Amino acid sequence: MAAVDVQKVRKIYKRDAQDIVVLDGIDLRVPDGEFVALMGPSGSGKTTLLNLIAGIDRPTSGTVLVAGTDVGQLSEGALARWRSRNVGFIFQFYNLIPVLTAAENVELPLLLTKLSKSQRRERALTALKIVGLADRAKHYPRQLSGGQEQRVAIARAIVTDPAVLVADEPTGDLDAKSAEDILNLLETLNREFKKTIIMVTHDPRASSRAHVERHLEKGVLANSSERHEVTA
Amino acid sequence: MKYFPYVLKHLRRNWIRTLSTIAGMAVCIFLICTLQTVLDAIRQTTENANPSRLITRHAVSLVFNMPLAYKPRIQALPGVKTVATSNWFGGVYRDIKDFFPSFAVEAEDYFKIYPEYNIPPDQFRDYLQDMRGALIGRDIAEKYGFKIGDVFQMESMIPPYRVGRPFEFVVRGIYQGNSAGTNLGVMFFHYKYLYESIQARKGVGNYAGAGTFNVEVTNPNQAAAVAKAIDANFENSDVQTKTESEGAFIAGFIAMTGNLVALLNGIGLAVAFTILLVTANTMSMAVRERRTEIAVLKTLGFPSTLVMSLVLIEAVALGVLGGGLGVLMAEGLVANLHKMPFMGLVLGQFPGLSVSPFVGTLTFSIAVALGIAAGLIPAVGAYRSRITDMLRQA
Repeated sequence: MAAVDVQKVRKIYKRDAQDIVVLDGIDLRVPDGEFVALMGPSGSGKTTLLNLIAGIDRPTSGTVLVAGTDVGQLSEGALARWRSRNVGFIFQFYNLIPVLTAAENVELPLLLTKLSKSQRRERALTALKIVGLADRAKHYPRQLSGGQEQRVAIARAIVTDPAVLVADEPTGDLDAKSAEDILNLLETLNREFKKTIIMVTHDPRASSRAHVERHLEKGVLANSSERHEVTA
Repeated sequence: MKYFPYVLKHLRRNWIRTLSTIAGMAVCIFLICTLQTVLDAIRQTTENANPSRLITRHAVSLVFNMPLAYKPRIQALPGVKTVATSNWFGGVYRDIKDFFPSFAVEAEDYFKIYPEYNIPPDQFRDYLQDMRGALIGRDIAEKYGFKIGDVFQMESMIPPYRVGRPFEFVVRGIYQGNSAGTNLGVMFFHYKYLYESIQARKGVGNYAGAGTFNVEVTNPNQAAAVAKAIDANFENSDVQTKTESEGAFIAGFIAMTGNLVALLNGIGLAVAFTILLVTANTMSMAVRERRTEIAVLKTLGFPSTLVMSLVLIEAVALGVLGGGLGVLMAEGLVANLHKMPFMGLVLGQFPGLSVSPFVGTLTFSIAVALGIAAGLIPAVGAYRSRITDMLRQA
């Protein structure tokens, strides 16, 4: 079964009286354990497609199946529950909550579960260990570097052990060294933890880490360029 | 409950703004609570008035005295049990800030009508035997350290009672209260002492009329008829009277300051509305600057209802903290109001003034309601917001 199966998806925004077609009949199939890079110029619809896959937006038409669930058919409440269990989202600007420590930020998605406080804390620390920041658990975002903040954000994304990770330009705000670290981490998550990763990026160095590159141009997906075997 | 630390952390995020809002809310609730306590005291005082007691005064105003000769005529009316002359003395002890209410009364009759004043019999006997004798409430004794036998002087603020020298008094009795509502902050002395002092100065007794006649009726159910009969008795006199129940007299006395209830409630409403706007602004700003975080929460799977609840809980927390602080401040102030100059004079008429559980709960509920009202629009905004829109605006 494909982790993600996008079928004939169109997304149209209305600006005043004008219809703007952002995605125009997209078909995308991402097998389990795949690491896909979505590339394309600004305004090509990469982030919109990522949002549809993550279940934070709905297609105008077509179907988005993620782990077998038709995301577009879920109610708002059900979609929120589904997101909390199935998708980890990594933002370009980390979007950590500044008043919470690294551990508390990572623990945030677990508040929606029935885990006890100690269980939540334990899982958050495990996630921080995976990203190599266990020693920064009590630090606030302002006390961390950009690369460290992004690693905390990744820990937050994986703490609920979702099958799919979506990353919107995860290295876009980082220096080369930090970007390299983040890409290594994503590779590790894909290789060792079997996470399906869909990453939007402008950066060829980032896309080179993916197994598959897909290019979007004016809302239309170009043919894929496969780099190597999926490590499933 | 597991979300509460999260809410508290957000409140601490901009602590100056949070503290300012809580302080504003506290001042608002403090004001409303204090005003409502005063209104409550007024209401209780009028409600608890003794139905068998009437007050007769000059029909034109309390300022004018009535002829002393009215007393036997009132006493002679059917249904009248006891009549006592009483005059507001307006005496000042040491300084105006040390003011406490003082009345010149005909003690034998007066204290029959007002049995709530508990005077030890030996002290009352000594008082009756001393023309300069004074009976003071326990609060006055405690405040100024008066003991039995102490001599002190007072001068009246009322021009006809200013006889060129201060009145000298000897503490002959310190009374307690037989009931919880008894005013322990009043001083009584002999009406005869006042009368003779004025006579000695002028040689005429023109100024020494009766301020009020305090009347006890035999049957409370006939109090209205007796009151009517008293006034009818002097209808064709130069000095007509106005007789009313004790409750109506107190209410009328308070009404001399204007429509106090409407005024105090009006102030309370205006203050509450202002703080509603302030808190709503605080919450709107707090939510506006957290748009991205709200989007993140929703992306992580927080349902919109939960996000809305978190915003509302934050607003309610402001209300709870501000309300709690405000009620505590009001309790602290009200407990000490009687010590304040001037204010204490007015509010000293309401013994045992304190924030009642009803007023405390009511005003605290107002604070919580203000918090909910202030947080409602931002909370609904957070509920309705779309993740993609909020992330785009960030």
